[in-house]
Amino acid sequence: MSGRAEVTEKPVRADAPGRGRALARIAAGRRRWIVAAALLAVACSLPFQLVPFRVFQFTMVLVYAVALLGLNLLVGHAGQISLGHGAFFAVGAYGTAIMLDRWDVPHVLTLPAAAATAFALGLALGLPAMRLRGLYLALVTLAIAIFLVPLLKRFESVTGGSMGLTLGKPAPPAWTGLAEDQWLYFLALAVAVAAFLLARGLLHSRVGRALHAVRDNEAAAEVMGVRLSFYKTLAFAWSAMFAGAAGSVYTWVIGFVSPDSFAVTLSITLLAGIVVGGLGSFSGPLLGGLFVMFVPGISQDVNDAAPGVIFGLLIITVMYVAPTGLAGLAGRVARSTKKILRKE
Amino acid sequence: MSGDAFLAVEGLHAGYGDARVLHGVDLTVGRGEICAILGPNGAGKTTLLRALSGMIRVRGDVRLDGTGLARRSPDALARQGVAHVPEGRGTFMPLTVEENLRLGAFVRRGRGAVGADLDRVCAYFPVLRTRLKQVAGSLSGGEQQMLAIGRALMLRPRLLLLDEPSLGLAPLVTEELFRIVRAVNEEERTTVVVVEQNAHLALGVAQQAHVLESGRIVLSGSAERIRADEQVARSYLGYRV
Ligand SMILES: Nc1ncnc2c1ncn2[C@@H]1O[C@H](COP(=O)(O)OP(=O)(O)O)[C@@H](O)[C@H]1O
Ligand SMILES: [Mg+2]
Repeated sequence: MSGRAEVTEKPVRADAPGRGRALARIAAGRRRWIVAAALLAVACSLPFQLVPFRVFQFTMVLVYAVALLGLNLLVGHAGQISLGHGAFFAVGAYGTAIMLDRWDVPHVLTLPAAAATAFALGLALGLPAMRLRGLYLALVTLAIAIFLVPLLKRFESVTGGSMGLTLGKPAPPAWTGLAEDQWLYFLALAVAVAAFLLARGLLHSRVGRALHAVRDNEAAAEVMGVRLSFYKTLAFAWSAMFAGAAGSVYTWVIGFVSPDSFAVTLSITLLAGIVVGGLGSFSGPLLGGLFVMFVPGISQDVNDAAPGVIFGLLIITVMYVAPTGLAGLAGRVARSTKKILRKE
Repeated sequence: MSGDAFLAVEGLHAGYGDARVLHGVDLTVGRGEICAILGPNGAGKTTLLRALSGMIRVRGDVRLDGTGLARRSPDALARQGVAHVPEGRGTFMPLTVEENLRLGAFVRRGRGAVGADLDRVCAYFPVLRTRLKQVAGSLSGGEQQMLAIGRALMLRPRLLLLDEPSLGLAPLVTEELFRIVRAVNEEERTTVVVVEQNAHLALGVAQQAHVLESGRIVLSGSAERIRADEQVARSYLGYRV
């Protein structure tokens, strides 16, 4: 899927002289940094422009974007499917909640601990699951998501059962002069930027190349000496780690966890989010985060009786209009605008 | 003969689940030789190469320079220097040519050496050098086959397995490919096993040839002898060479 997207995204002219092409590449690289810097500037000014409720919504967009970075790694870059991503999100959220509730662990420390727990769990569950393919893998990951809610309810003494746990949110330090919602937003933004850079680093490494090889041609990857089950499991564990980190920030932001927030629908919404956002692209997780945050609410507004139907129809529409996701669509729009501008 | 054989295969059985394809293949390839595997469609040629690179489970004995290779994993075999150019090339389409090439050296460590090998491979296939940053999916069929062979060479293989490099390519391109394979073989003393439908081409570069039919070797000999034997050509290859 993403393969096609990339092929069409980078039409390279073979006849262009090498030097010109190298310069063009440097220019393109610089342009990408400028876009990233502009985006970051907008992101930083956002909480000063919006009312607290909107700031909260964009904080959640960032939280989902972190989770989707992980899912993108697994689905978009390693070519494996997971219908259980929400379970690792829940592990991070509950892990953080329990650390705060039982041991008064400082907020900053809960995040690495939650991410590490999710990573370890991803490794343990991925080891058997990643020997499966396609439909079987989908079913096993779905089972993980299904079992989670009853499990959380069952261990009531630790998890608070159906009632959930209520926790204190990280307080903004006085020197920042920020309100609570703004502080939470900036925490989420910092985590999102760090997660983005980490994912980028992973993908540009030798291991990232191995994941792409597994996605694009398993048999060829295998003869190159890429151990399929090892790299698939690693991708699964990483994706779990990002979900765990996102879940941790979720608990900071919401200050409350309950089992029903992490039902199977969360996993499915996340998968829909990354597919709609754009698999295998760098802007996909952010666009997907916007989708996960806003689209279910919009569907609810359109038709209160059957939000699921509207949600489904929206997904189908997006996939029909933009088979490579919103990221692909954005790229196409940018290219045709450029073409039109050049002609004039 | 098997005393100084570089690759020695004995009683090799392999297949897919219940479907048995190879029924006890015996063959030897001398060090630095090019060996052609000929035979009709469905004879098991691809399966033989897959067995040699560890992609499918086997029964029997495979030795490379005396080291037992049977039942090892593909990555262990890659580390032993077995490079396999699969049927259909196995291009990683969305990745760039350079990324494809670097994946060929996946089991090797050391950036410097890999960089030097990029140069070495591009010297054999100059067209790849001009395409390094290009997406591999945008290459022509011939270029993709060059990329597939170049990628295999990135391993600095001791044994190079080629599966129908001529498939779907124009005769001129195919000739060029075989000329390069020959050059690699001569310059680097790489032992090559090449599977081909195009017997004429394969026998032109190979020293030894084996004819595979229904999972058994039915004929072995020097390439010259097999080429000269018209009877062989008719009965085993199904056409005149
Ligand atoms: N992946 C596979 N699964 C099951 N059977 C296969 C597979 N690949 C090949 N075969 C069968 O094995 C036999 C030999 O195939 P193959 O080795 O591809 O022959 P060749 O390369 O000589 O044309 C054929 O009967 C084919 O149907
Ligand atoms: Mg074949």
